[in-house]
Amino acid sequence: MPEINVTPLGAGQDVGRSCILVSIGGKNIMLDCGMHMGYNDDRRFPDFSYITQNGRLTDFLDCVIISHFHLDHCGALPYMSEMVGYDGPIYMTHPTKAICPILLEDFRKITVDKKGETNFFTSQMIKDCMKKVVPLNLHQTVQVDDELEIKAYYAGHVLGAAMVHIKVGSESVVYTVSVNKYAKSHISAWIDKCRPDILISESTYATTIRDSKRCRERDFLKKVHETIERGGKVLIPVFALGRAQELCILLETFWERMNLKAPIYFSTGLTEKANHYYKLFITWTNQKIRKTFVQRNMFEFKHIKAFDRSYADNPGPMVVFATPGMLHAGQSLQIFKKWAGNEKNMVIMPGYCVQGTIGHKILNGQRKLEMEGRATVRLLISFALTKRLIHVGKLLACVFCFHTLQLDVKLQVEYMSFSAHADAKGIMQLIRMAEPRNMLLVHGEAVKMEFLKGKIEQEFSIDCYMPANGETATVTTNPSVPVDISLNLLKREMALGGPLPDPKKPRTMHGTLIMKENSLKLVSSEQALKELGLNEHQLRFTCRVQLQDPHSDPDTLHRIYTHLKSVLKGYTIQHLPDGTVMVESIVIKVSSSAEDTNAKVLLLSWSYQVKHRHCPCSRLSKLGQKHNRLKT
Amino acid sequence: MEAVEFDDILDDWFIESLKTYKDLHVYQLEHPTQVIEWTSEKTVCVTGYSLSKNEILELRLPLKLFADENKGLCAERDFKVAHGGFTDGPVRRLRHIPGTRCVVTNDGLSSDLQVWDLGGDDSDVIRRTGSIAGRRNVSERGSRIAARLSSPPQVLHGAQSSDVQLTELTSGRTLYKLETDSTDPLSFLQFVSDTVFLAGCCNGSVYVTDTRTSAAPQLSPPPASSGDSVLWWADASVGPHPSSCRVVRLSSSGQAVVSDLRSLGGGAVCQAQLDVQERCCNLDHIRVSWAPTLDDCISVSGFSGVVQIYNTCGWSMELQERQPLFQHRGHVVSSQQTDDSTPVFTTAHIWHPERPRTLLSAASDGSVHVWDWVDPEQSAAGSPIPRT
Repeated sequence: MPEINVTPLGAGQDVGRSCILVSIGGKNIMLDCGMHMGYNDDRRFPDFSYITQNGRLTDFLDCVIISHFHLDHCGALPYMSEMVGYDGPIYMTHPTKAICPILLEDFRKITVDKKGETNFFTSQMIKDCMKKVVPLNLHQTVQVDDELEIKAYYAGHVLGAAMVHIKVGSESVVYTVSVNKYAKSHISAWIDKCRPDILISESTYATTIRDSKRCRERDFLKKVHETIERGGKVLIPVFALGRAQELCILLETFWERMNLKAPIYFSTGLTEKANHYYKLFITWTNQKIRKTFVQRNMFEFKHIKAFDRSYADNPGPMVVFATPGMLHAGQSLQIFKKWAGNEKNMVIMPGYCVQGTIGHKILNGQRKLEMEGRATVRLLISFALTKRLIHVGKLLACVFCFHTLQLDVKLQVEYMSFSAHADAKGIMQLIRMAEPRNMLLVHGEAVKMEFLKGKIEQEFSIDCYMPANGETATVTTNPSVPVDISLNLLKREMALGGPLPDPKKPRTMHGTLIMKENSLKLVSSEQALKELGLNEHQLRFTCRVQLQDPHSDPDTLHRIYTHLKSVLKGYTIQHLPDGTVMVESIVIKVSSSAEDTNAKVLLLSWSYQVKHRHCPCSRLSKLGQKHNRLKT
Repeated sequence: MEAVEFDDILDDWFIESLKTYKDLHVYQLEHPTQVIEWTSEKTVCVTGYSLSKNEILELRLPLKLFADENKGLCAERDFKVAHGGFTDGPVRRLRHIPGTRCVVTNDGLSSDLQVWDLGGDDSDVIRRTGSIAGRRNVSERGSRIAARLSSPPQVLHGAQSSDVQLTELTSGRTLYKLETDSTDPLSFLQFVSDTVFLAGCCNGSVYVTDTRTSAAPQLSPPPASSGDSVLWWADASVGPHPSSCRVVRLSSSGQAVVSDLRSLGGGAVCQAQLDVQERCCNLDHIRVSWAPTLDDCISVSGFSGVVQIYNTCGWSMELQERQPLFQHRGHVVSSQQTDDSTPVFTTAHIWHPERPRTLLSAASDGSVHVWDWVDPEQSAAGSPIPRT
């Protein structure tokens, strides 16, 4: 039977380093290539040795598809393509292609420069990797080769996130990390017709019931308002467009509502990036999606102005959006250093921070930070003098040293999550819409997926798989094979009456399947024989049933006829003028036995076709036996 | 309601909530629940009540609620489904058995109870492990359930006053039966100490029973009220000693009567006519509850989509109209229902056992809210003081 194999190389019953290998119709596809952010050794990478112990992966993979730019989904990509070796196509959406290298480079810098690691991919490797990327447009079918096609759909939980539909022949797989509520309304149109063989989804958030977006926003506004009211300053380090702009809109509305006067700024670095990503985002999405989101230009805000670094020293309350998002460099870090010492101030971290960054440290409760200052030259001179000045001290060499600045973090630190993942309800809605034939869960711990698995199996009557890393889930598929049917055969079947054929109510029909020149055709048996140049043979079976009956042959036949009419309801029974009885197409004749005048011989005769359709033969035979018993 | 108008109301309420709530969390279950029951200091159980299959869920409250000192560093605001299972029918009552990982449920259609194991670290599935037969096969309102810490675990249950019994959970052995001929349906069943329990009837009478004695239970008649067809619900405050226990009885017309347990039949301590804004409601959802750590405060829900907090301090013997100290209107303003003929109504609420002003509430649209309200009364004389 045809089958699809799915093997997680990472994120199988585990959280982090998402990487799933799918074998479908003879094609091998890698879905995501993420890094596990909790490890500093090889455990942070997916286990590629499953694919091959030695050598490059190019020969084993038809393509790689990246769902979105989070590092636990793309962080191992340069390692895989440049250090393990892969030269084939890497598919991702345009925004993902734009954002990935920036995050990868940031991550590389932190890992190598700050943490001092050596066996890590280089900047050049990131660039070389990105040259292999083939960007995807939404709803555009991409033929990877003659048989494999892929298509991306808006998923929306981060900028550029996509669900991917993979198809080989009539078998298909849909892969999604998560789908936010905006995406659901846009994917419902296509996903209803999809019915993939497997829907692969993360389970992490499937056991979560999310607090409403409004309450998260409320919390954000409350924190900002309380800080402003006490005269403090609020720093909000941000990276990507979507989050920053949403928060700006929120603050703008709130400021207007509450008639607040404290200034709100966004840093110039953010402005340039924001414009670039804004255009990218808007052109990438379609009209409907654009309407769901912000349509305003960053510069149209009444209360939000461009930031100048001198403003950081201004007295009084203010709010500043600045990059980068993890406080590891740049303007956000500069502002943080200035404001950290004042307990009236606040920093609001709206996203995940990689280990090693200032953002990560303060989110872990660290209140004293070692900050790097400027390099200085110090001349160290040391004398050892005794009272009698016998010895002269040594002159020590001058040394270079860095100032390390100890920073006391007194400002209030707030960690707020605005991620738009779907939750338990969302996952079930997605399955309800997609109607997959099978479900496969990744990215969760086994003991915490048992209930979800049971829930899916119970509600949708489908199998739910949750393979561990390196474990292969084999899903048997039932692919549809398109077959042409001859018009004559179709007409003949239609003439038999009954309901019209329906995908949900199949009808049995008889014909001959001919495979000829890569095409399949269903024809009548006569037509098949004709094409093959064969003669038709008829097979007819007979059996004899002995009866004790003193009546004449016609009388016996008539009594048999009458009896059959009463017991074989629903069958066509005829008493023909030629002295035979026909039950459907079974012929019954009566003749007297040569040896015994009181004995009769019933001759039953039927064709081979009858045996396979509806055969009352066995009932007739039993009736004969019953008649004999009654007589005795 | 127009979408714009709906958003405006939501916005107004949310903006107002910046001052009126310290914390506010809004969740949406797949199906509404009629029960919210603490199963540990950080987990609650909820379950559906449709006539067919339902889910029973043990939810872990968001970490942010419990992170007092480093609250700002915790971004986690979501419920986590810690354990889940399936029931064959509705669940109208659910009680956690203290000291165990068991809960006991009743479907509201018979007096039988179902026993469930909530599971541990090795599995996230809630499984049914047994059942306890009630004394009546069919029951219009189902059984009330009560439990307290005991070894071996026991459960108190009954659909009406004549069939209240105390059953040992593991063996099914009946340890005690309330002996009374009266067949009043129950609306309330609660332990006030290890051996004393109250069985409150829908007609407002209350049986005070000590399981150590075979003497007849003490019967307290219903409070004086206008109208014979009123129904009553009750709750008893839990204190260090039964003698300090107070009972509040609430009628379907909104009359609230506070009595001392020691003199339950002797008359009320105080009473009030509450502003419950009664609408067409399902009487099964009426709840009245004492605040566990705020003196003199009660909470009321089920009459509409609002949960009300009243301060009984200052009530008198005279039946006067009283306004709530605080109203949680979140379920009403954030309801997704557009059909005006069936407005949303609250189905359950419960106080946090330790955080003075934190409650959880559920409504008929599947919403569950966790809210920590700010006491609007600034004067010390009127402010309910948390018990230490």
